[in-house]
Amino acid sequence: MNGPTLQAALAAYRSDSELPPLPDPIDPDRLLSAFHPDHLRGSITTLKVGPNTGTQCQRELADLLQTEAIIDEVDLAGVPVTDTDVLVIGGGGAGCAAALAAAERGARVLLASKLRLGNSNTVMAEGGIQAAIEPGDSAQKHMQDTLRAGHHAGDPALVAALVGDGPDVIRWLIRQGMQFDQTPSGDLHTRRAGGTSAPRIMHCRDYTGLEMMRVLREAVIQHRSIEVWEQSAAVELLSNESGQKCVGAVLKSQTDGSLRIVRTRSVILATGGLGRLHLNGFPTSNHLGSTGDGLVLAYRIGARLCELDSFQYHPTGLVNPPLLSGKLVTEGLRGAGAVLLNAKGERFIDELQPRDIVSAAIIRECQEGRGIHPESGGVGVWLDTARLERSQPGLLEQQFPKLLARTRIAGIDPRQQPILVYPTLHYQNGGVVIDVNGASSVPGLYAVGEVAGGIHGRNRIMGNALLEIIGFGRRAGASAAHSSHDRGPKKITLEHVNRARRALTLAGMSLEKRAPQIMPAYTAPGK
Amino acid sequence: MESLNANLLHASQRTGSDKQAWLNAGGGTALRQAFADPAAVFSAIKEANLRGLGGSGYPVWRKWEAVAKEAPRPDKYLVCNGNEDEPGTFKDRLLLENTPHQIIEGALLAALAVGANRIVFYVNPDLSRSLTAMQAALDQWQFGPFLQEASKVLGHAVDMELVPSSGHYIGGEETAALEWIEGKFPFPRGKPPYPAQFGVHGCPTLINNVETLAHVPAIVRNGAEWFRNQGIGQATGTKLYSLSGDVLHPGVYELPMGTTLNDLIFVHGGGLLSGKPLKAVFTGGPSNTLLTPADLDVHLDFDSLRERGGALGTGAMIVVSEGTGIVKRVAEYIRFFAHSSCGQCPPCKTGTANLSRLIDRIDTGRGTADDLATLESLCRMLPGSGRCHLVNGAVQLLDSSFRHFRHEYRAALRS
Amino acid sequence: MSETSDGATVELTINGTAVCAEPHMTVVEAAWAGGVPRVTGVGCLEGVCGSCRILIKRGSDVGVALACETIVDQGIEVLFLPPPSTALHQYELAEFDDGWDSQARFHEIFPEASRCRHCHGCVRSCPRGIAVEEGVALATAGRFREAGEAFFECVMCELCDSACPEQIAPAHVGLFSRRITAHFHLRPPNLIHRLEELRQHPFSGPGEKESS
Repeated sequence: MNGPTLQAALAAYRSDSELPPLPDPIDPDRLLSAFHPDHLRGSITTLKVGPNTGTQCQRELADLLQTEAIIDEVDLAGVPVTDTDVLVIGGGGAGCAAALAAAERGARVLLASKLRLGNSNTVMAEGGIQAAIEPGDSAQKHMQDTLRAGHHAGDPALVAALVGDGPDVIRWLIRQGMQFDQTPSGDLHTRRAGGTSAPRIMHCRDYTGLEMMRVLREAVIQHRSIEVWEQSAAVELLSNESGQKCVGAVLKSQTDGSLRIVRTRSVILATGGLGRLHLNGFPTSNHLGSTGDGLVLAYRIGARLCELDSFQYHPTGLVNPPLLSGKLVTEGLRGAGAVLLNAKGERFIDELQPRDIVSAAIIRECQEGRGIHPESGGVGVWLDTARLERSQPGLLEQQFPKLLARTRIAGIDPRQQPILVYPTLHYQNGGVVIDVNGASSVPGLYAVGEVAGGIHGRNRIMGNALLEIIGFGRRAGASAAHSSHDRGPKKITLEHVNRARRALTLAGMSLEKRAPQIMPAYTAPGK
Repeated sequence: MESLNANLLHASQRTGSDKQAWLNAGGGTALRQAFADPAAVFSAIKEANLRGLGGSGYPVWRKWEAVAKEAPRPDKYLVCNGNEDEPGTFKDRLLLENTPHQIIEGALLAALAVGANRIVFYVNPDLSRSLTAMQAALDQWQFGPFLQEASKVLGHAVDMELVPSSGHYIGGEETAALEWIEGKFPFPRGKPPYPAQFGVHGCPTLINNVETLAHVPAIVRNGAEWFRNQGIGQATGTKLYSLSGDVLHPGVYELPMGTTLNDLIFVHGGGLLSGKPLKAVFTGGPSNTLLTPADLDVHLDFDSLRERGGALGTGAMIVVSEGTGIVKRVAEYIRFFAHSSCGQCPPCKTGTANLSRLIDRIDTGRGTADDLATLESLCRMLPGSGRCHLVNGAVQLLDSSFRHFRHEYRAALRS
Repeated sequence: MSETSDGATVELTINGTAVCAEPHMTVVEAAWAGGVPRVTGVGCLEGVCGSCRILIKRGSDVGVALACETIVDQGIEVLFLPPPSTALHQYELAEFDDGWDSQARFHEIFPEASRCRHCHGCVRSCPRGIAVEEGVALATAGRFREAGEAFFECVMCELCDSACPEQIAPAHVGLFSRRITAHFHLRPPNLIHRLEELRQHPFSGPGEKESS
């Protein structure tokens, strides 16, 4: 695994060098099975308990799903109970969209977020949101791109719902007050992305997620029917007498540890991803709260999951300095024409291939000795932002201000030098199995956003995640608001926890480990 | 009891805007002496060791000397600071309303001493009766003989005007007052330069508190030694103490400078309500340290209080008995500071806002040990972080309350 | 032990606790390395979520900043500020008229904005270097598009809100300006055209045949 040091590679770099042509493409399946982290030997195991018994699952995730709860029934004695119509767990884009949709239809909504409202992966998203609006593009094409990039593992009904919602989602966002970049003629500016057959990514410079999140957060805070509890982590769901239906959740305050119970007709999980589990030892682009809590809670109450052995490693995560490690550099740069170069200054992959292919290619370059090694550790290849700036002066400042802002504090100017990148754990492709309304296999329980699965198959294309959180967030919110014939739960129990406990014991598995994790261990050292 | 209201608040001096009554009581005598010998004003003030009574305790003669030294550029200003806006301080308004001519005479004497040709009476419009009385009094001086003579002695025309302040607490800070007089929002300026060198419109400016200036006529008229003899121990003259809180007779008491806390509360103030024991005294406008029952013997003058680790400030004494909680009272004052922060300096504005939120949480049963720790951290970090002393005063008060009454804070925490 | 030369440690205080950190660390990393738990007041670690607000004292200078983008320095003192209490300037875009009344509505919702005293406290507090005061002035004058553009980099940390003596809530003024601009003015022809096409010929889902 040797290659030049960062200093040496920078010294040898020329932004105006002649680039040799791309080598012939290698068979993608071979590339993936040889180099993609999903295929790392020993990283996959089989689940032994729960609704997905017998299914393949990433080993570290399996350890988290097959666990004991962190509370017991006795902890609920004397805990105050609040009633509501819809409980949304998670304060990112999906949670806010769900809350707004439910409230729009007259439901009382309680939104619980374990951090501050808006702390999410949504706010960090850069590249944009997909919708088929250009002439020559169609929902059908969008659907085909999505299924193909996902290696045809996605549920066509869900994908159809996703792409069909596209244009209306954009209109809804604009109505909420979200801005998008426009062309001089006033059209929404669209870009291609890896795996898309037509330009259909809409964006707000490279701050799309920030723009979306601050608008939705404001709309939620001001909505008269939505109550927000911040620093309130869901530590367990509640089930009815038979343990078959979800009737609420137990929330724990992150400031003083006190518990609160919420009793409700519908729970919408919008808890995001699990990047902070650092699967396979990878750095992550995710925010601190991405610890897979919702997945754990859904599994324990009996929801079926899918694609638990498939995770997206975004090709371009920053490598140095350590404080930037894993942080996302948007695919939009490649969409604008930036190339990837190995230590020899050569291109090695079509940059606009789907992400799993590009990531696997980068890992191959580094493993085969063509990676660049910074002093602070790690390895990577060049994303040639300097060459891009040279060919389109001013582009980075105009269209990618977030990249410049972030690298500035590390003393790096992407306009002057290429930046070092390596795949970073970015997205959970699978998750809770849902229908077109976001309903899981457990009555009363919905799942939307990254925590849900079945849409992206085994690989997601850029811009579909932001579309999913709004499209399905709204569907779930609307559906959850319509349980008018349901008079609400009578009894709230932890029966599902007992059931899971029995299953673990009978399978001879340890009950020592407890989940959900809530926050990465390194955020509370010594505790 | 003869020592009560002996000078400034003597019945004979409470003439309101009635100029004839003021003249009958000896008004104008000092001015005539000063016209004959202007330099004598300064030496009298210096000998008398008059201290700044707006809160600083700074020797008045030093300030006057600094301004006297400067050449007019093209003017020289004297500002009489009547912005009084602190909780518990209510002496200046009494003087403004009842003895406006005494104040005007004092200002004109000061102007003669330092060579100031433009006199501004800067009065808080919330003190509506004070404003009315001052305006009525001032009208009687315009184009009058005293002003004409002063102009002759000084060698250029002297004018006097009444400028209502913005009403903001921060407008009482010296340099903030200057900003307002110049027509701008009263933001404190950074010092240096000091008003003496660079004041209103860049001109040398002397700014003194109402009470300070009110003493000047009697000092000139009766002499420095007379003034010195009025005080107790090393302190000189008399002081207007604003006594309030859990006492039988709250009010303004003019007493010898250096009167003990015990005498103020029990001899003059009628003691504590319902005979409850004394718990604490917030001094000087609440931006200072607390006094406790152990301090009943302290002489209420600048130097004695400083030795005790406290400060006289404006001479306000807010008395708290065992029937009153400290946390809530401190929360009230911190809220006042947070509200009064002018906004220029984020550490002050954000700092006091957070102090206020945290102490409110504690006072209303939502505070945790973490909140208390955060309050203490803020107290360590904030002093000196603002352009003026507002944030320092807030921290000083809080710190002092922690020192003496931490048990009350702890008891209020959520378990 | 306490120089900031290569490899040496940096000593600082975080929330009252003495901490030793490495010179390249951010305040958040230093907190964790030094055993100070931070499970709230942290989030994205890249300066866009606005959660990690700190008061920071360097020598005699005290200011506010975001912890995840502040590199440690010898002897600094840091305090993580409590989360802001959001001033509720309430409005529903759906209840606005047709955009012609935006300025009037703005003054009803944000009456404090016209009382800005130009103290610059907001400008000095902003970790993004936004010309906050100017942005508020633009909004007050009804120039919402420009005001919104001024606030483009706003991460809603609300440090400016905390700094405002008139309680204008500048961050929310900025966000309002952006929202009202999109809500009333963003009518992209390509999107509108596609929406109309779909209205006439709805997408029927997975079974639909490819057209053209």
